Amino acid sequence: MVNVDEFIEDATASIRDQIGDEHAIIALSGGVDSSVAATLAYEAVGEQLTPVYVDTGLMRKGETEQIADTFSFMESLRVVDARDRFFDALEGVVDPEEKRKVIGEQFIREFEREAKETDAQYLVQGTIYPDRIESEGNIKSHHNVGGLPDVVDFEGIVEPVRDLYKDEVREVARALGLESIIAERMPFPGPGLAVRVLGEVTPEKVQVARDACHVVEDETEKHEPWQAFAAVIGKGTGVKGDNRVHGWIVSVRSVESRDGMTARAQELPWDTLQRIQSRITGTNENVARVVYDVTHKPPATIEYE
Amino acid sequence: MTRIVVIDNHGQFTHLERRALRDLGVDTELVDNDTDPADIDADGIVLSGGPDMDRIGRSPDYLDLDVPVLGICLGMQILAEELDGRVGSGDYGGYADVDVEILDEDDPLIGSLAPETRVWASHADEVKEVPEGFTHTATSDVCTIEAMSDADRDLYGVQWHPEVAHTDEGEEVFENFIDICEQ
Repeated sequence: MVNVDEFIEDATASIRDQIGDEHAIIALSGGVDSSVAATLAYEAVGEQLTPVYVDTGLMRKGETEQIADTFSFMESLRVVDARDRFFDALEGVVDPEEKRKVIGEQFIREFEREAKETDAQYLVQGTIYPDRIESEGNIKSHHNVGGLPDVVDFEGIVEPVRDLYKDEVREVARALGLESIIAERMPFPGPGLAVRVLGEVTPEKVQVARDACHVVEDETEKHEPWQAFAAVIGKGTGVKGDNRVHGWIVSVRSVESRDGMTARAQELPWDTLQRIQSRITGTNENVARVVYDVTHKPPATIEYE
Repeated sequence: MTRIVVIDNHGQFTHLERRALRDLGVDTELVDNDTDPADIDADGIVLSGGPDMDRIGRSPDYLDLDVPVLGICLGMQILAEELDGRVGSGDYGGYADVDVEILDEDDPLIGSLAPETRVWASHADEVKEVPEGFTHTATSDVCTIEAMSDADRDLYGVQWHPEVAHTDEGEEVFENFIDICEQ
């Protein structure tokens, strides 16, 4: 395990060295990695850093408001409302890798505009060690690796947490005094809720996924999963109030893990599962059924796409 | 300081093998599997897992370096394939939880885990016959040869993944291997 205090001291010194008197920019996703990278960079160079948060419309419930609040100490923070532009770009796209690509490209367009406006010479990214390994192994594409630097001609890229594992980043987050909600926050995929709705991304499906994820996080909290969420996986029949419905099928997943590399499906109590089912079907009239995923990783992955 | 390098056969968990060794305080490094054996300076070698026997690079050459070798998953299959054992596809994929029975409690690598241990696995192929000089040291319901050892030549293989967090006594396997390398 990394020595946290030493790490923070070395990381801020090296960020300061690298950026010098220039201007830097970072895309703040709300996840632990970019939050830690941004805070380290902000401690190193202060207002020379512009953190940009893009609201893609694919974020968790209440996330945008919370980010704005948590990082209000950074006066240079920019919050961009890009929801409509993302849903337009995603219309008709069903392939998971294509979705990631479309989201990555739209994200780059949003970010490019901000970067040019601030005249940033350096790009700060929250890339962590497993991102690099997974990208090298082609298991899935991560949009915080590559992409951006090809479009904007930065002087250099700063990746303060590139050698850390997830659990180590969380240790650093704690030491940086980031609010516990950030430090303890569950992993959330880069493309957001877009990969928690199988097939085409529509505002309706994303709304169901957002609401269901919130219910799952809330109801599983006391069982301390490493990650818990819900995904909209298809449509099926149901019967509600004597009416047949053809509604969404929501799959609930709750896993235990140290680092995301392997995971065990959690043995949740029946009454917890039933409460989750009842809340999701009861408050979303377009959901017909809720299922629980019992598969470990391997053979499954944690996320669905 | 003891130095144990991890040969990267493109496995998803390869970097966790490096991490396990790092956390146990030995000098370690991930090494590309096309590295010239003459450039490898180590007291022990871990052959990582990986997706495909066609992407093992120069892994077979490292068996001649006269230092202890621990083959993990595909790494163990490399030992079998290169020496005179046999590898084939399993009847039943070994994924996630597996209960492994230790057959040789005196084995330097996994004997201390006897009588049984809970491991995490991820493989379709398996070793069908151990090479000459090897002892069959562990078994399970889903895979007959879960581990094998040749303590005279200090060549060891495990079919499961001691480096992942869900394997119960994974760290102990690495500790035992470090002991072997330090002898």
